[in-house]
Amino acid sequence: MGGEPRHVVCAAADLRPGERRIVRVRGRSIGVFNVDGHYYALQNGCPHRGGPLCEGRVGGTTLPTRDQAFAYGQDGRILRCAWHGWEFDIATGRALADPAVSARTYPVAVEDGNILISV
Amino acid sequence: MIDCDVHNAWRSADELLPYLEPTFREYLERGELPGGRGSFPHAHRPWLHPEDFKRVDAVPPDGGAAGSDHAFMCEQLLDRYGIDVAILTGEEAIEVSTLANPHYAQALARAHNDWMVAEWLPLDRRLRGSLVVAPQDPRGAADEIRRLGGHAGIAQVLVSTGAQRPYGDPFYDPIWEACAEVGLPLAAHLGGQGGVNANPTGCGPPTFFWETHALLCETGMGHVASTIAQGVFERWPGARFVLIECGVAWLPALLWRLDADYRALRKETPWLKRLPSEYARDHIRLSTQPLEQPRRREALWPALEDIGAQDMLMFASDYPHWDFDEPRAVRPPAAWRDAVMDGNARALYRLGAREEAMADGR
Repeated sequence: MGGEPRHVVCAAADLRPGERRIVRVRGRSIGVFNVDGHYYALQNGCPHRGGPLCEGRVGGTTLPTRDQAFAYGQDGRILRCAWHGWEFDIATGRALADPAVSARTYPVAVEDGNILISV
Repeated sequence: MIDCDVHNAWRSADELLPYLEPTFREYLERGELPGGRGSFPHAHRPWLHPEDFKRVDAVPPDGGAAGSDHAFMCEQLLDRYGIDVAILTGEEAIEVSTLANPHYAQALARAHNDWMVAEWLPLDRRLRGSLVVAPQDPRGAADEIRRLGGHAGIAQVLVSTGAQRPYGDPFYDPIWEACAEVGLPLAAHLGGQGGVNANPTGCGPPTFFWETHALLCETGMGHVASTIAQGVFERWPGARFVLIECGVAWLPALLWRLDADYRALRKETPWLKRLPSEYARDHIRLSTQPLEQPRRREALWPALEDIGAQDMLMFASDYPHWDFDEPRAVRPPAAWRDAVMDGNARALYRLGAREEAMADGR
């Protein structure tokens, strides 16, 4: 983890796969997600218009295809902003429709049964 | 300078008779016509220009239809303004899209194409033709594109903006496939606002001619959105779509909206890999006429610059029609001028290469 101060979010046992928790750390609203046992933290402010990104729906999306075909995937790994619906990869923060745009992410670790984020 | 919209007319639609196959020659000789002997079979738009839609001074000295006399076209346009290449778009031929019978419509389009190749292209090395097809018959249109699209004097495939559905619809895939095979752009020119085609405005029919004409952008906007969203430019990476006579000032607003909505709802069209505005800049071209006329002339350009229109706009005069744009009236920023008046069209239509092909006598 980086040199930033670390903060306890909650006990790891209290954030189950598929769940999220929004916490306030050093004045910032941050969403912490459990995706299949891996933890990720994203700033709860959409890079598009500052909407409450981490309050949006989590689910899957259509995978890249050719010729008007549909394939659903990434279930549980995609966060859609609560305001305008922009899709973000929870693990990387990257906007799916525009590689030039990313949501801010924070390092996460689990130590002594607690989830820690560096902010 | 390249003029991307020059209307060459016939004096009478009877000029097509020798070029029509016997079945449909009989239709044209004996059949019902919208304007009497010599008129062209189509379902004319219900908005009638109260002064007719031709420049009054464009009637040739010995009479006949405006645009029907090559020498007078040279005097009034090609020589007068130093046009290097004129893209001919015919006069009423694209109106075949309004006919219910797709077989008759395609036969008329074929006759126009053979007439144009035989009677117009040999007149002047500066002329390039448009291959008109009836889009309501995509397979017949594809056959026609393969039949004649390889001719060195053909610059593009041409349809009307009036259509039964927007041009990205997979219904039209045979047309895009054939265009890709022969390496021609697909162009849509304002028209086809009647007959079996959709109403040109979404809220119901306007009333007056000028009111309708001011809304000519609306079908163009629909085709731009459709070709991008349906993935035409992913399926045929060499495809180019040209909008003729739909104006240009609306383009930034539309592309900004498409980019914004695509970012939110990308999942509807997972075959796309880039932002809509990026596809547009690489694959879509617009003729400048009728250029919008802001109160301050220079107010037109900043928004267009924002979406890269310097790569997308191509000068057109629309000679000999009433809303003609004189080349001097089109004043893009100095840094764009060569591209808009010449370079963009030269690149799109590969005019250098075709010039060499013509010189070889092909």
